[in-house]
Amino acid sequence: MKIFLTLFQKEWLEAWRDKKLLWLPIVMILTAVSQPIALYYMADVLEGAGNLPEGSVIEIPLPSGEEVLASTLSQFDIIGTAIVVLSVMGIISHERSSGALALVMARPVAALHYIASKWLAYAFILIFSFTVSYGFAYYYTIHLFQGVSLGRFFASSAIYCLWILFVMAVTLTVGTMIKKTGGIAGVSLLLAAGLSLLSSLFPEYMKWSPANASRKANQFLLTGEWGDAFYPAVIASSFLIMGLFMLAILLFKRFESCTA
Amino acid sequence: MLLAVNQLTKKFKQHTAVDELSLAVKEKECVALLGPNGSGKTTTLNMLAGLLKPTSGEIFFMGKRGIDRSRIGYLPQYPAFFSWMTAREYLHFAGKLSHIPKKALSSKVDEMLAFVGLEDEKNKRIGGFSGGMKQRLGIAQALLHEPKLLILDEPVSALDPEGRRDVLQMMQQLKRKLAILFSTHVLHDAEQVCDRTVILKDGKVKWSGDLNALKQTGRQVKCVLHAEAKLKPWLSSIPYAAKVHFRSATCAEITLQHERDRMRLLKDCVAREIDVTHFEMKKHSLEDAYLEVMNE
Repeated sequence: MKIFLTLFQKEWLEAWRDKKLLWLPIVMILTAVSQPIALYYMADVLEGAGNLPEGSVIEIPLPSGEEVLASTLSQFDIIGTAIVVLSVMGIISHERSSGALALVMARPVAALHYIASKWLAYAFILIFSFTVSYGFAYYYTIHLFQGVSLGRFFASSAIYCLWILFVMAVTLTVGTMIKKTGGIAGVSLLLAAGLSLLSSLFPEYMKWSPANASRKANQFLLTGEWGDAFYPAVIASSFLIMGLFMLAILLFKRFESCTA
Repeated sequence: MLLAVNQLTKKFKQHTAVDELSLAVKEKECVALLGPNGSGKTTTLNMLAGLLKPTSGEIFFMGKRGIDRSRIGYLPQYPAFFSWMTAREYLHFAGKLSHIPKKALSSKVDEMLAFVGLEDEKNKRIGGFSGGMKQRLGIAQALLHEPKLLILDEPVSALDPEGRRDVLQMMQQLKRKLAILFSTHVLHDAEQVCDRTVILKDGKVKWSGDLNALKQTGRQVKCVLHAEAKLKPWLSSIPYAAKVHFRSATCAEITLQHERDRMRLLKDCVAREIDVTHFEMKKHSLEDAYLEVMNE
């Protein structure tokens, strides 16, 4: 436990000194806030763009607050996923290629301690960043559009965190096997995008998929209901994330003891 | 016996890096692994440090099977730290990982920083350290938890002459307290500090023992003979020479089978009325003995 806490503490100090603890929330906030603001000024932007014949009338119905938040989450599906992957991709491979990992593993540190410290630290950092940025989006939405109940906000953000955790878990697991950060980012994004695509192509067979988390969050925002197959999806996604965590430990152990 | 290794083997796909290597280290003994680049020194040390899993073979450490990572100190060839930490922070981090009690840690860290001469740099970021300073910090982190066995991979190869001397002096001091196993490809370094040397080639043990004994194992005696007359037909037929190499018609380098044949050679010269202008016994250096072992 002491070893885990030491490593966990080190991750936080590193994130702080790297300024990751600063830029990660800022980038996420910018991503989130851009959506309600863009939607609000859409009509003005189109008008200002010119090229429209004299006298054309632009009438865009103001979306409801729920719709704005839902579109914020879809924005996150693309940019947010990329941010998660980019922020997590190097955390193992960088230490491995620099050689700092060898000195850590030469001490009585188990793979579980090492992986768990990174996993949990980044889970906290990412969920914190996401919640804060989504909170900013919520703030702008209720001021520029109309109110959305807090319940819907919290429920949708909680469910959306499953997707963020999943993407993080995939990236960390891939990161235990591949040496180059570019390769890690590529493979992780491909896996996340592939799963997303499959989930929308074959919704019948993909009820377990964590990619449904964002769909469920959308649905709850708009209707206040989870729809069918909610619990199976949440439970399956949670198990999948746990499975990835254990896979990461196994792969890390194998990679470490076979190449050095 | 502190460390005993039996038939340790490591294969990377087709390539066998370490081939049935056996060695033993006693308490407070300093053993050098000597060999050219690619002879399997680093792979062996990585297995002994518990970083690499052997393909086969056994390791016994402190009477138990397997390596207890809390009782060894390990310094890789190019130690790397977290560049955003200070030297002091890193040692605290390393100490906590090795279960040093909180109360003892601070004084232990200061003691180590003083031992390796990094007191003035203790609050500086490691990112700005020179190679020699990193090596010092590497030694400090390896000694911090008072290990029984210190494993050093090429501890002086990357250092300038001054850093080299300092590190070798530290090793001299340390071997009074603990056992040291280190690798090097520099014969002189091994000769200076170690009690026993294990010579590796292609992952196999070629020779092991005291280096002074290695000097004596060179049984062959070399001498150089200059004369005024031609040496050629006669000298190449003497029965007691192992090898004759003619530098010119009147000068030859002769490898004798025994030391006593030296007199016989001179007597033969006198008997044949050859005017010897120069006769020299070549001293058998450690390098010669080493090369002899390597080429066997």
